[in-house]
Amino acid sequence: MNARKIAVIGASGLVGSTLVERMLATGSHDVLPLIHSSGNAWRLARLGLELWPLNLLDYDQVKTKLVGCTHVVNCSRGTDEVMIKGLANMLKASRAAGVTGFIHLSSVAVYGDPPSPESVSEDAACPRHDKESYEGLKARQDEMVIQAARRGLPSAILCPPNISGPCSYFLLNVLQALGSRQFALLEDGSAPCVLVDVQNLCHAIELALDDASTEVQRLFVTDDENTTWRQVVDGLLPLLDSGFMVESTSQLVLSEARASVNSSSFSIVRSLKHLVSSTVREALRKDPLWAKVDRELRKSVTYLGSAMEEKLRLAIEGNLPVPRPPKGRTINANLCAQQLRGVRHSCAKAKKHLGYQPVVSFADSMEAFRRWYQATHHMNSAYWDLLKRLYQAQEG
Amino acid sequence: MVDRFRIALVGAGMISRQSHLPAALASDRVQLVAIVDPVVTRAKSLASDYGINPILTQDVRSVLDKIDGALIATPNDSHKDLALTCLESGVSVLIEKPLALSSSEGSAIAETARRRGRVAAVGYVTRFRESTVLLKRLLDQGYFGAVKRYVHQFGTVGGWAPLSAYNLSRRASGGGVLVVTGTHFLDRMLYFWGYPDNVALEDDSAGGLEANCVAVFRYDRQPGPIEGCAIYSKTTALPGGMVIETVQGAVMLADTESADIRFLPHGSAGVEHVIRPSELRRFPTGVSPWLLQIEDFVDSCRNGTKPMVDAEEGNQSLRLIEALYAHRRSQPSDWYPALGQRKGAKR
Repeated sequence: MNARKIAVIGASGLVGSTLVERMLATGSHDVLPLIHSSGNAWRLARLGLELWPLNLLDYDQVKTKLVGCTHVVNCSRGTDEVMIKGLANMLKASRAAGVTGFIHLSSVAVYGDPPSPESVSEDAACPRHDKESYEGLKARQDEMVIQAARRGLPSAILCPPNISGPCSYFLLNVLQALGSRQFALLEDGSAPCVLVDVQNLCHAIELALDDASTEVQRLFVTDDENTTWRQVVDGLLPLLDSGFMVESTSQLVLSEARASVNSSSFSIVRSLKHLVSSTVREALRKDPLWAKVDRELRKSVTYLGSAMEEKLRLAIEGNLPVPRPPKGRTINANLCAQQLRGVRHSCAKAKKHLGYQPVVSFADSMEAFRRWYQATHHMNSAYWDLLKRLYQAQEG
Repeated sequence: MVDRFRIALVGAGMISRQSHLPAALASDRVQLVAIVDPVVTRAKSLASDYGINPILTQDVRSVLDKIDGALIATPNDSHKDLALTCLESGVSVLIEKPLALSSSEGSAIAETARRRGRVAAVGYVTRFRESTVLLKRLLDQGYFGAVKRYVHQFGTVGGWAPLSAYNLSRRASGGGVLVVTGTHFLDRMLYFWGYPDNVALEDDSAGGLEANCVAVFRYDRQPGPIEGCAIYSKTTALPGGMVIETVQGAVMLADTESADIRFLPHGSAGVEHVIRPSELRRFPTGVSPWLLQIEDFVDSCRNGTKPMVDAEEGNQSLRLIEALYAHRRSQPSDWYPALGQRKGAKR
C-alpha cells in the first residue's frame, strides 16, 4: 500500500495514459485512472487495469470517486460544459476529499495565438479571449484553479505547448498535412516550434505532485531546446516517400490564411440572402405551410414586374459561377499559421520551482515517434507493398 | 397474408439502438414483441425513443411463449446461456457476433440448435455486402488468377463504446481488438478461403486486452501457398480495407458498405477495373444490411434454409480466434530505448 493515491482524470488521453503507464511502471503510487468512456480507453485496457468511467458533470459521482485520494491530476478535455462545470466539480470534490495536490494541465494557448513576445515568461499578461474559445476556456479554468488554491486547495498549473512523442496528435497532424500537400514551411523553416515530449510533461507532473501550493502560478513545461519547424519537418521526412519535397511559403500568405480562418464575423445581409436563396426555399417548400408562404412571396414579387424580379434574383443568387480548374491543394491554415507564433516559451520557472529537467531530448522524442509510427503502420513489414496501396487510395 | 415473425430483442445497448431495432422496425415481416434487458430503464428509454410499446422485461424466459425468434445483442459472455434458454424452448436465435466466448460454448449452441431443429444464426453483417458475395464468387472462379498474398486492416482511435463497457473486460468480451474488430474479417476470410493451415499472432497486451494486433495466416495450396495478414488497432487510425495480390494483379476492396471491387492488373500502370455486380446482384441496393440480416434470419426460420452465417460457421471463427491467441507473442513497444538505458544506468 502506497502512501499516495493519485486520481488521473482524463486518463485515456495521450498525457493521462502515459502518466498512468509511468506510475504503474515505478509502482510508487496507487493510481486511480478515471475515464470518460470505454471507447477511448484501449491503451489503458492493455494493462489489465480496472478502469472507472466518470461523468464529470455529476458532482456526487466525482466526490465518491475522489474519496481517499491524496492527489488529483486533471488531464481531461471535453465540451465547454465539461471544461467549466466539470472542473468546478473536480475542485469542490478535491477539497471535500482533503486532496493535498491538484495538478491542472493548462496550455500555452492561454497567452493567445499569436502569443505576445513577452510570453517567453509566464509573467506576461494574458490577452482577453473570446470566452467560448479554447484559449478562453483554458484561461477561465486557470482562474478557477487559482481561486480554489487561494481557498486552501494546494495546486499547480502546468502549461505545455504542442506535445510530441509516440501517439502525438500534433506530429500526426503535421505528417498528415505534409503527406496531403497541405503543409508549407514558412520561408526557410527557422521559426521556433516549441514542443514538449509527453515523457517530459509527465515527468513535470510527477514533480508537481510534491510542489502543489496555495499560491499557485502557471509553469511552462517544454523540451527546453531551440527547435525549429524545419527540424520537426525533417524529423518526419523518413516517414514519407523518398524524395519528398517540402513546399515553402511566405509570411504574407500565412497571415492571410490565418485571417481567413479567424474571420468568423457575421453579416445580416449575407444571412438574409442565404435565407431567401433558392436552395433554402426549396428545402422549406417541403413543408406545406412554408410552401404556401413561398408561393405568396413569389406572387408579390411578380407584381413588381420582370425587371425588378430579375434584379432581386441577381441580388440574392449572384451571377452564375464560372467553373475553373482547382488551383491545387490549399494549405492547412490553422496548422501552418502556428509558424507565425514566433515565441519560445521558457521553462526556466519550472526548472527553478519543480527542479524540472527534460528527460527526453527533441532528437530522442522524434526517434520515438518514428519508431511508434513505423511499427503501428507496419511500414517495415513484409506486407507494406500491399498496405501502401490502401494509403495511396485514401490520399487519392 | 403471412403472419409477422415475432421477435424479442435481447439487449437494449448501443448495437440494438443503432442497428438491430431500426432494422426490425423497418421490416414488414417482423413484429417486435419485446425488449429484454436486465436494466429496465435502458429498455424503456430505447422503446420510448423509437415511440414503440413492446413488452419490457428483464428476463427472456418471461416472453418465450410469445415469440418465434430472439435477437441476442448482449455482452459476449451472456450469449451462450441466453441462446440455450431460447433454443431449448423451441425459439430460434440470431446472435450478434461473435457467437460466444469460446468454441466449446459455440459447439453447445450449434448442437442444441441441431437437436431442437431450430435456427442459430450469427450476426456477421458484413456478409450482407454485395461486394463480399461478388468477391467470393470471383475468387472461386479464379477471375483474378491464383491468389498469392492478401492483407486486411482496420484501425480507429477508440470508437465503439457499449453502454455496459463490456468491451474492456476480457471475461465479458473474450478478447481485445481481434475479437471486437477483427472477427468480422476472420469470418469473411473463412468464407473466401476456408480454415488456414498455420496461424500466428502478435499483439500489445500487457496483461489486459490487446489494443493492437497483427495476425498472419498460411494456406498450403496448389499451385502455391497463400499467405495473409490482418492488422487491427483501437489506438491508431488506419485506412480500412483489403488488398489481394494475385498472379494477374492486385484486387482492392475498401472496408465500407458500398465500396466497389477494384482490380489493378500487372503491367497496366495507371489503369484500374471497377467491378460491380450486374444482373446477378444478390441484394437490393440502398437497403440496410441489418434489415437484410434480420430478414435472412426470418427466411431461414420459416423455410428451413441455412442462414447466411450459421452456428457452425460462427464457431469456426471462434476456433480461429482461439488458435491465434494460442500462438501469440508480444509486439515490441519500447519506443524510447535511450530513456530505458538512462533509467537502467541510474539503477
